[in-house]
Amino acid sequence: MELSRVDNLIADEYRFLVAERAGWSLVAGPQDLELVAHALRVLLHTHALGDFRDEYRALVACQHADGGWAPESAEPESTVWVSAFSALMLIRGNRVLAEDGLAASVRRAIDYFLAAQESDGRWVDPRWADLDTTSHPVSFFNVVLALDERHRRAEVEHAWRRGLGFILEHQTAEGGWHDANFHPSGVEITAHLIQDALVGDLVLGERVPGIRESCRKGLAKLRDWQAADGSWDDENVDHTMDCVRSSIVVTRILGDDRATTGAIERGLAWILANKNPRGWGDFPGLETNLERTCDGIDALCKYRAFRAVDPEAAVRLWVYVP
Amino acid sequence: MSPESADWVPVARLVDLGARDRALVHVNGTEIALFRVGERIYAIHNRCPHRSGPLVRGFLEGGPAIRCPMHGWRYDLTTGESDRPARATVYPVRVEGDEISVRL
Repeated sequence: MELSRVDNLIADEYRFLVAERAGWSLVAGPQDLELVAHALRVLLHTHALGDFRDEYRALVACQHADGGWAPESAEPESTVWVSAFSALMLIRGNRVLAEDGLAASVRRAIDYFLAAQESDGRWVDPRWADLDTTSHPVSFFNVVLALDERHRRAEVEHAWRRGLGFILEHQTAEGGWHDANFHPSGVEITAHLIQDALVGDLVLGERVPGIRESCRKGLAKLRDWQAADGSWDDENVDHTMDCVRSSIVVTRILGDDRATTGAIERGLAWILANKNPRGWGDFPGLETNLERTCDGIDALCKYRAFRAVDPEAAVRLWVYVP
Repeated sequence: MSPESADWVPVARLVDLGARDRALVHVNGTEIALFRVGERIYAIHNRCPHRSGPLVRGFLEGGPAIRCPMHGWRYDLTTGESDRPARATVYPVRVEGDEISVRL
């Protein structure tokens, strides 16, 4: 893939996202926080968050007293998945913004996840599969640990290890994960689990036995599932973006392999071939939505880092390497 | 034409369901997904109430039910009920000869 084309697309789509700011801005009014978190991740990866400091403050303002967030910013009940995504954007954003209010919000979020964990190590959210839900607080705690946040450190480590244990217990022998109620194909959940949970441990010092092999098997399973045209999960744009991003971070940490690099290139080519004039939809031919457009920009940013000379450049976009 | 029959809108023919036993139709700007399960045809609003995933691309299951291809939310094709915090709109279907009609 020509890097100049990738750079131009990132710039064009970023301008589009900014032009559509009213559709995702918490400063403009109540929002779908899953979309907001997707947009904040783009701001992080395009190094633009300094111009959007108010958006991060607005995210703090709609945090609940228990430390969590609701799927809709004006709703009162905290749920785990969106809380983890929001907390992750705050701890990452505050590396640049360095505000006491954001730091305090991150500590409240840590309290929330410690209180919300189930006795078997999982986290539960009625909107998401338990395995998928669990991967998100684990991902947040990966970054909490990587950035050496000290708040309730021992408890965080314990909860993080139990969350990883719950995920590892459910990996199938062939390397993937399935959930009969949410993810019968297994593609999206496998992509999420290895990039958002497991692979962080390899950077943190490989504290969990067998995790390298689990990542390797999961990555191989993702390659097996890729269609000949480069897509995953029956031309699912969202899941193809997930698989490309997951393959990038896992192969960068495990060490490059030619088969995965080929899968990433084919996946990205399919994503670009099925792009709308502005943004992306959930499937080829569907209308553009901002969440998928944020995912598209994020995938391009991660691919750009994957092609950098520095092998850790891509991993930094997950902040498993500070 | 009776007032009752005027409520039914012809949307497709059985042959349009194809080998995958499904079709997407548009009625007055509304996307409706049609599914054939056995001898019966079902009609459901095509966009998942969760994140607007296109149900016509979903996974057909026993029940009968359709599972959204985006995040796996499942909807009963007869009632629109889900085990998740949502409910999809389903539409009555009538088949006369080869013609499928729905009532909005």
